[in-house]
Amino acid sequence: MWACARILSASTAFLPLTACRVGSARRRRPCRRSCRRKFAVLPSFLIAGLLCAAASASPGVSECPDHFVDGVPPKLENSALSVQARDLCFAGFAVEHSGQSRTPLWSAEHLTRGAVEAARSLPRRGSFHAEATLPSEEAANLADYRHSGGYDRGHLSPSSDMATPAAQQESFTLANVVPQSSGLNRNLWEWIERSVRNWVVRAGELYVVTGPVFRGMNLQALNGRVLVPTLIFKAVYDPGSRRASAYLVNNADDTGYKLISVEQLAALSGIDVFPSLPSDMKSAVTPLPAPSRRFPRVGGFAQEHVSTRWWFRLLHALTGE
Amino acid sequence: MGIIKPFGDDSGSVGIGGLTIENGLDRVVLYGGLEITRDRAGLGLARELAELLNAAVAVLSADPSLPDHVAAEAANSALVRNPFIRPAS
Repeated sequence: MWACARILSASTAFLPLTACRVGSARRRRPCRRSCRRKFAVLPSFLIAGLLCAAASASPGVSECPDHFVDGVPPKLENSALSVQARDLCFAGFAVEHSGQSRTPLWSAEHLTRGAVEAARSLPRRGSFHAEATLPSEEAANLADYRHSGGYDRGHLSPSSDMATPAAQQESFTLANVVPQSSGLNRNLWEWIERSVRNWVVRAGELYVVTGPVFRGMNLQALNGRVLVPTLIFKAVYDPGSRRASAYLVNNADDTGYKLISVEQLAALSGIDVFPSLPSDMKSAVTPLPAPSRRFPRVGGFAQEHVSTRWWFRLLHALTGE
Repeated sequence: MGIIKPFGDDSGSVGIGGLTIENGLDRVVLYGGLEITRDRAGLGLARELAELLNAAVAVLSADPSLPDHVAAEAANSALVRNPFIRPAS
């Protein structure tokens, strides 16, 4: 139902048709297909919307539930985020994209040890591209990011997590990208991404949701179109130890970060990243691995397999996190 | 390497070891870290990097109107109202 509701919240009636028509079959969801059917038959936008919602009220409407904890995608709790929000499935991740910010609101991955090991043997290779399955007025394009004044095209689900060349190329869609401070993207953020991959190899599997936070009355907009986040988060759930927390960083050339609970993140971002987790798990701040600066070794893995847990706790204690 | 043509587009991105290369029309950016080990793997990485840099030098040196410095980049951004402010409930 959520996908329909958001498509219907778009301002014009033809947008849902566009959204339903474009993209590969894999990317479409049952909800969108039912939207298209109803829209084709019924002229009334309102009636179509009601039918669409009714037709898709079954749980688990997502076509790519594997990316989400218990198959449940992140939930937008702030209704202002839902305007022109559309969900897209890709091989290695799923995003909810906002036509208001022309960025993703979140990007979700289910990472496994095997996938990360495959990703590590894959050289980086890809090209940034506008997301063709979005209406062009809602999508960022390459020109928007030109002369950005110190902002990189920052992946939310990182290309280095992708297990196949096709998945990696998909990760370069601008629907998976936010304007990210160059100093952050090339340093702290990369270290956080690496530490999460190292953790996946130790833990076997993790669920990760990454996203921007837009705070304040006014925001910078690249080319007047693409909103620049004020903060960026990466929330991680470890189903093995049943704990979840999030890294939170300023979108600035900065090496400081905070760890916050899933509940605190929801209050800040308006997004419940792991709706199916129990509230006691959401309210707890649990330790996450310290960002790993270590270079990946050529032809091998960055090894951190020794006595990791207490080591990370010690590091956190030393850094005051 | 032949995967990206320096300054040829603003979309291509490749990795050489731990180094990330992002192509652009007005700049090519390299960041990350690279260990060139004294072995065949190191030679391969060194060649890839050399090929990239040689291609960049070729493009720059072939440009007859190459300025001393590109003009300071004017940020292409504007201040807009935040559309995501939580509606009062």
